[in-house]
Amino acid sequence: MSLQGRDVGEIEALVTDRYLDSLLGDRDAPTPTAALDEAIRAVSRRLADDLPRFHPSFRFEERLAVRLAEAAAAMRLPMAAGGERDAASTPTPISVASTRLASDPLAALDDEGRAASRPYLVGGAVAASALSIAGAAWIAWRRRSSSPMARAVRAAHQVRG
Amino acid sequence: MDAEPRVTHLDLDRALVEAAQRDPARFDALYRRYLARVYSYAYYELGDHHAAEDATERTFLAALANLHRFRERARPVDGEGASTFRVWLFQIARNIVANEQRTARRRPSEPILETTVIADALDVEGDVVRREEAGAAWGAVGRLAGDRRRALVLRFVDEMTTAEIAGVLGRSEGAVRVLIHRALRSVERDLESKEPRAPRT
Repeated sequence: MSLQGRDVGEIEALVTDRYLDSLLGDRDAPTPTAALDEAIRAVSRRLADDLPRFHPSFRFEERLAVRLAEAAAAMRLPMAAGGERDAASTPTPISVASTRLASDPLAALDDEGRAASRPYLVGGAVAASALSIAGAAWIAWRRRSSSPMARAVRAAHQVRG
Repeated sequence: MDAEPRVTHLDLDRALVEAAQRDPARFDALYRRYLARVYSYAYYELGDHHAAEDATERTFLAALANLHRFRERARPVDGEGASTFRVWLFQIARNIVANEQRTARRRPSEPILETTVIADALDVEGDVVRREEAGAAWGAVGRLAGDRRRALVLRFVDEMTTAEIAGVLGRSEGAVRVLIHRALRSVERDLESKEPRAPRT
């Protein structure tokens, strides 16, 4: 890699970028980068571990899924008739549950498997402060391993779906 | 070692996108895959649960309505996990969130700090430490200006590559690298200034 034409700031940014690629790709064993400032390394690790990802409430998730399914059904009719895809039409309800089984959101997140221990919060539980399935998910953490809490949340989510 | 070529699927979401373009009902898989990421982005930007839900809903409805216009443009250099659909989706989200911010003028300077972060239901002591650490990191990111904050959230929370973030923010990759580097410096200084130093022995 040529560093010609780059100033110090750009080179530091490039080194940081390489480290972040490594850190976020494999949090347990990021590639050592001797040229990286220790303070940048420390704050990067901290943000990677501490910044939570949020999940909206499951009620919202399902409500929007139904709305999208209705919109999709409305789009399918003109498509079937050979018309424009985004033409308006009367919504036709379709089964959301049938698509639900093939795309378990928690399983999909596990498949990505890149965030080993990120805090994972459910928005609806935060807002409602209710003790519920969502509340159980609220205190679950995304871990690469299948912890009892993660399994319980996943099972509750599947039962609810 | 597997000697198969790696560029058969440049876009991680290609199969799902093509299925949804053929049959809009198949959009559900893309929705489930990206719901938390889009919602997280909106929540970090807007700092309000209901506003984030509203922005998330409008993002996915707009994406579904315009999916037939989406064209994949991933390049080999973007890597195996490159997803131009993800960039396209977040461009929609960014525009919707920006409109929301312009309309409501409610971007928080201290986002969501009252939210509880719980590490482990059985580890109360660890929970308290974790909550404080997460709150501090969260607050420091929330105090960053505009694109610095967005770039860090997209990098660390949504785990996008620099190339993808450049696509979302409409900047060059070099500019995004510098943006993130400077943002990390700011967060580091912010955290250092707010955390008590250990007493000397």
